[in-house]
Amino acid sequence: MSSITLLESQKDEYSILDQWIKAKEFVYVGRGINRIDALDKVLGRSKYVEDYLVEGLTFARIVKSNIPHGILESINPGKASQHPDFITLVTSKDIPGLNQVGYYIPDQPALAEKKVRFHGEPVALVVSSKPKSAEELRELVEVVIKPIRAVFDPLEALKDEVLVHEENRSNVVLKTRVRKGDSSRALQESDYVVEGTYKTGYQDHAYLETEGALAIPSDGGMTVILPGQYPHLAQAIISRVLGVSQSKVRIIQPVIGGGFGGKDDMEPIVGAQAAIAAYKIRRPVLLTYSREDSFTSHCKRDPAIIKYRSGASRDGRLTVVDVDIIFDAGAYANRGPFTLWRATVHATGPYEVPNVDVRGMLVYTNKVYQGSFRGFGNPQIQFAAERQMDELAERIGIDPLEFRLKNILKPGSKISTNQVLEDSVGIADALIKVAERCSWADKRKAYGKIVDGKARGLGLACAWHGISTSRGVPDWCNAYLNVAKDGSITIYTGVVEMGQGTHTGLLQIAAEILGVPFEKINLIGGTSDAPDTGATHGSRGASFGGISVAIAATKIRRRVQKVASRILGCSLEDVELKDGWVYNRHKPEMRITWEEAVKRCYAEGEDMAATGYFYMPKGKFDEEKGQGFAYIVFSYMVVAVEVEIDVETGLTRVVKVWPAICAGRIINPRLATTQIHGAVLQGIGYTLTEEVKLEDGRIINPNFTDYLVPTIADLPEIEEPIFVEDLFRFGPFGAKGLAEMALIPIPAAITNAIKHALGIGPSEIPCSSEKLFLEMSKAMKKTRS
Amino acid sequence: MIEGNLLKFNYYRFTCLEDLLKFLYENPDSKLLAGGTDLIVQMRSKKIKPDKIVDISRVSELRYIEEDKDSIKIGALTTIEELKNSVIIKKWAPPLWTAVKDFATWQVRNIATIGGNICNASPAADTAPPLIVLRSKLRLRDLKGQRLVKVEEFFKGPGETIIKDGEVLTEVVIPKYEEGWRFSFIKLGKRVSHILSIVNVAVGLKRAEGKIQDIIVALGSVAPTPIRSRSVEEYLKDREATYENIDRASLEVVKDIKPISDVRASAEYRVEMSKVLVRRALRECLTS
Repeated sequence: MSSITLLESQKDEYSILDQWIKAKEFVYVGRGINRIDALDKVLGRSKYVEDYLVEGLTFARIVKSNIPHGILESINPGKASQHPDFITLVTSKDIPGLNQVGYYIPDQPALAEKKVRFHGEPVALVVSSKPKSAEELRELVEVVIKPIRAVFDPLEALKDEVLVHEENRSNVVLKTRVRKGDSSRALQESDYVVEGTYKTGYQDHAYLETEGALAIPSDGGMTVILPGQYPHLAQAIISRVLGVSQSKVRIIQPVIGGGFGGKDDMEPIVGAQAAIAAYKIRRPVLLTYSREDSFTSHCKRDPAIIKYRSGASRDGRLTVVDVDIIFDAGAYANRGPFTLWRATVHATGPYEVPNVDVRGMLVYTNKVYQGSFRGFGNPQIQFAAERQMDELAERIGIDPLEFRLKNILKPGSKISTNQVLEDSVGIADALIKVAERCSWADKRKAYGKIVDGKARGLGLACAWHGISTSRGVPDWCNAYLNVAKDGSITIYTGVVEMGQGTHTGLLQIAAEILGVPFEKINLIGGTSDAPDTGATHGSRGASFGGISVAIAATKIRRRVQKVASRILGCSLEDVELKDGWVYNRHKPEMRITWEEAVKRCYAEGEDMAATGYFYMPKGKFDEEKGQGFAYIVFSYMVVAVEVEIDVETGLTRVVKVWPAICAGRIINPRLATTQIHGAVLQGIGYTLTEEVKLEDGRIINPNFTDYLVPTIADLPEIEEPIFVEDLFRFGPFGAKGLAEMALIPIPAAITNAIKHALGIGPSEIPCSSEKLFLEMSKAMKKTRS
Repeated sequence: MIEGNLLKFNYYRFTCLEDLLKFLYENPDSKLLAGGTDLIVQMRSKKIKPDKIVDISRVSELRYIEEDKDSIKIGALTTIEELKNSVIIKKWAPPLWTAVKDFATWQVRNIATIGGNICNASPAADTAPPLIVLRSKLRLRDLKGQRLVKVEEFFKGPGETIIKDGEVLTEVVIPKYEEGWRFSFIKLGKRVSHILSIVNVAVGLKRAEGKIQDIIVALGSVAPTPIRSRSVEEYLKDREATYENIDRASLEVVKDIKPISDVRASAEYRVEMSKVLVRRALRECLTS
């Protein structure tokens, strides 16, 4: 049922990956090498999108709807046209191709047409000859919108009294379902059943660099410099709105000031908006979103309402998980169908559960739309699943660690869709090690009482995260590697560097396989000039990007080995490449330099360029039955979190975090550690302080004064991560995805620690100090009465 | 005419107080720019649309911290960071020093001024409650003369003060406190640092022979202006300096505050936190 299909055409590629997964000694892989872009960033030499100054540059701003739902009656420049810097006003009428930037469901315009569906929706662009006056000009544009009744609450939206997209006749975008066993019977027959309703809010990516794109008209097409996460997707969407072929659109990657998924969704849209304007005026247009624009008009982590019932037997075995998930899509479907599917499959948490029924619903409302964000639908559901594990453990009267260990996934386990996990399941090991490291047993006994007005608590949470696309959705990667005559190497990849350090990791892989010094390789990433590598999202930059670099480099390596074996007079297998030398592994003194070997390859007719195409094996999922192949592999994460709560104010401080990750081979432990640190802090914000506040669909805190991202002063002590290297057979050197992992279990770990400290288990995040205080007061009144 | 983001205004800059006062006498509708950390934000969000911006940041004669026999004098253009680094402030204005120590971010502290923090008249201004409990006065000058007013009488409402057209806050005067006084300052925000106060409290307390001889309590962010809590003060004056009395007194604060619900906190939470913070600030004075 869950078997995967291997392709005959990919046999060589499978053997290459197999060769490197067996490698034991490394020169570059596994080393904490400094990032290649570090120095430029520190010295301020990095070029971001706003640093590209081209001749005739103009400056654009979006003009936004100030009404959450309404009929767009007219847009005209008004007084803006009298301003000396005014160049043009761009509306949907100026779009030469299709006014459609929807990701999976074609429901989203580049610029609103006929109707607006959320407060902050772009309805036009104003273009100015000066950057500052663009801001002023948009205030002068006259937009007439006739308000109509709006709907903000997804439960209210289910009544379909107000339709966000009337052509759909329903606000339900789609439904998902995973089924296994007989959950209604199991709910009746289980010794213990616990029920909870969990709510999560929006989270803004809050990247340092807001959205922007620079579109430059070129012969019959467009070159767009944009800080996106998938150059070929931006290329496709821009070509669609311009009505030109994809080959006429070129995407160039500037240095990016943070992505976290947000720029995966936004940059194709922002790039399309800039391109429409540039197409109209035949001049380069730099469109940038102000911080307020970014808050009001860019996608955010999907708010969710999760009703969760789970049961267990007296001896601590999970018997059933039964869940209803509602994801608030906001005004457009965007990535909702995929975040919701991910939440649906991951709803059990990383445990073996015999009876599962999970029903998901994605619902339109008149609010800013949801989108990709580190964890992609999974932090919401793992919060519910892992809060629920602690509640259930308490009901049974068993330690939450022991309860988890009894049910944890192992090699051979069947997940909620009945897919069998064959290998690369290291989470049990991670759980045991974290528990040891954080002195679980001692602290669980010692904490949980109030001392001098402070309560300490220790909480634990696990997470799992499917790598690559789900079900049979195709996923592939590619790279192009060229060796110049002097032996220097250039790699072209679509993988984007957005602060995570992946390009450094990719260079480590190439240097390892070719046995050349790091400095000999140049990497050009994130451009549509590279072969389509897929998006840098879903923790696939190093894992998928790395596969292609490994394959392309191995093809070159084998050609060099072939030529060298003739020169060195040994078998092909005995030719070793290391430190810039090509030599006979049994007689290392028999050697030539890498440069000499390359020269001989050129002379003897060997192709010194190679691509690294790989198609990730997929299986089948039966949507009807809700069973089948879900993901090729999962990464796993365990965190323990210690909190200290000021019981009189509710102010919660995360004191210490113990992380463990099962992401296969760690290519660069230093980069892996920094990713974990960043994710932990972003998770703390998501759980405690980051709250998007809305009034009638309008975001009332579109700034960093009142949208509270943790600062460096909020950074807890984070223990050295424990790496459980549960190698993945289709990963480069066995690597899996890593970047999203540490955020996913943080909300549950913190709230489980709060529960341990106070006996109050928050079921809603963000859980602000005020909310926690009010809950404590409520609980105290209850005990008194 | 300068064309900035969104707004057009005339910009003037002075380096000497006398010239500034002359200009303000003739142009009473001017808005003063010191550090700009509040003004620029308010202009961007279009809360205010001034026609005339007068940049006083280079009037260097208003930037000093001086000590004489009876008092401390702070020039209005002294930055928050300068207060933080001043041993005079640390010694003679301890609750003010505590407040500026955790004031905003380093970047903001380096340009924000004490005069600006006061004249902006935010109910949440962190320097106001400490200045009130230190019984500080503000020197206001115009072309015709000057006056000294108590800090607690300076504020009229959010963003509103008693300052008259043509007047400039030039100096903060903090009298040296006598032997036996203890002070404290506590703020509560939604995260550990770099945060606006949900409630802030300053306390000055003088003990003699086991009794509370004199006391002054001030709070921010719980009323349209920074306020004194007379009820707490009256409850404690001449009572035994015990924790029991303090705990009971702190509940009295609700009689003096009128908090609102806003994006930062609900009125209900602010009321509860006022009690907690007043108690803590009082206890700190007792133990320190």
